[in-house]
Amino acid sequence: MAESIELEVKGLDFYYAGNIHALKKINLSVSKNSVTALIGPSGCGKTTLLRCFNRMHDLYPKNRYEGEILFHGRDILSKETDLINLRSRIGMVFQKPTPFPMSIFDNIAYGLKLNGVNRRSDLAERVEKALVHAALWDEVKDKLGASAYDLSGGQQQRLVIARALAVNPEVLLFDEPTSALDPISTAKIEELATSLKKEITIVIVTHNMQQAARISDRTGFLMLGELIEFDRTDKIFTAPSEKLTEDYVTGRFG
Amino acid sequence: MTREQKRKIEGSVALFLSTMAAFFGLFWLVFILGDVLIHGIKALNPSLFMNDPVPPGAEGGGLRNAFVGQLLITLCATLIGVPIGVLGGTFLAEYARGRKIARLISVLADIMVSVPSIVIGTFIYALLVRPFGHFSGWAGAAALAIIMIPVVLRTTEDMLSLVPWTLREAAFALGAPYYKVITQVVYRGAATGILTGILLSIARVAGETAPLLFTSFNNSFFSVDMKQPIASLTVTIFQYAMGPYDSWHEQAWAASFVITLFILLLTITGRLIIRLRYK
Repeated sequence: MAESIELEVKGLDFYYAGNIHALKKINLSVSKNSVTALIGPSGCGKTTLLRCFNRMHDLYPKNRYEGEILFHGRDILSKETDLINLRSRIGMVFQKPTPFPMSIFDNIAYGLKLNGVNRRSDLAERVEKALVHAALWDEVKDKLGASAYDLSGGQQQRLVIARALAVNPEVLLFDEPTSALDPISTAKIEELATSLKKEITIVIVTHNMQQAARISDRTGFLMLGELIEFDRTDKIFTAPSEKLTEDYVTGRFG
Repeated sequence: MTREQKRKIEGSVALFLSTMAAFFGLFWLVFILGDVLIHGIKALNPSLFMNDPVPPGAEGGGLRNAFVGQLLITLCATLIGVPIGVLGGTFLAEYARGRKIARLISVLADIMVSVPSIVIGTFIYALLVRPFGHFSGWAGAAALAIIMIPVVLRTTEDMLSLVPWTLREAAFALGAPYYKVITQVVYRGAATGILTGILLSIARVAGETAPLLFTSFNNSFFSVDMKQPIASLTVTIFQYAMGPYDSWHEQAWAASFVITLFILLLTITGRLIIRLRYK
């Protein structure tokens, strides 16, 4: 395969404060310009794994990583990693929409300003581009000054995606982005994810197996902190090699 | 008597007692406010705000010095107390979140809120009045600031804690450093709550007399020199109400009316902001 590797996880162990062993010897690689889905029952560690990619766990004391995650050949888990730089290259979208308490325009301009875009005209241009990108522009172009809280849940989630896209990340992490949304908004976000992979790499955690099957190229199945199986999505859902995977995707548990 | 009848009587007695208690409390509140209102409005006139006190027995005169002094002391106290309170609250809710030290400071601040203000007055007296050998406006402002700090600190801490964690995580995920997350995202989310806390803390100190008696004391002349004793409404009311002259009593009523109105407005504004925000 000619796919190049964007992120490579090598022998990753992760411990939450209090020595809770949440991830055990994880090995997987995320291909560039693809959608990688992480599935598994609640508490299996899929969100924990996702949050390792942008070192979100560093916000809380006494969390500990062991092993490596290579991002363009460099270990992002090393102490020298500049987290601010890392997080502007690897963006994240959360389960619940997280618009900031400011206008629609300012929400998107926020990330841009952090990255040194300050000229009014540049900001306006990049904000529009990001909103078009996230398929939200037509709905909000006449009310950019309105509070982001006035938008519907689905629109807020696309706003948050636009905010993440505005800073041109290389990877976008989705943490169950549609679990709080209605089916129509969900379809829009899924469509968006599929179209975005032309430019960026996507890793998505989802509870919804149909969603993983619909949009991802590769799927990893986790259970109790272990990566049980990681393979092409069609293979995981039609001919998994592990019994546990088969039981899970056919709905026998979880 | 059946059980039902007994229960009915018990219910009526409880209702009667609690209603009476409520009316008893309200009666005094209305009585005090009404009294201040009636006497205050009667004594209110432009000269009160435009002129300084004249010797007892002389016609006219006002309390311009006390109004200006009160504003000056309150303003300085706010300028000292609010930044310290807000930054301290930020430390507790953000940087020291979950640590023992945060819990300890919180509890201490709660205790500070209920320390009698006269104790704070005497403390500042020992610290800022005695060593300099004279009362001063700064000492008064410092005493009021010390009363404000724990109030502002605790409100800020509570309001910041109400901002959901996911919002901070979202800002971090964009690559924001912590101080920018706090100042640009978290403060915005908590702004109305903090503002309300500040207004209520100003209302709290604007009516203080005891700490000022020991610190800024009083001044019969117009002065804006914070290094010298300075007049305040509350101390003037105390002095005038105790004095032997009718003209003093009238002016004390007027001053009481003005300061009550001021505090009432601050409090109502604070409550209105909360209501508008969280409706």
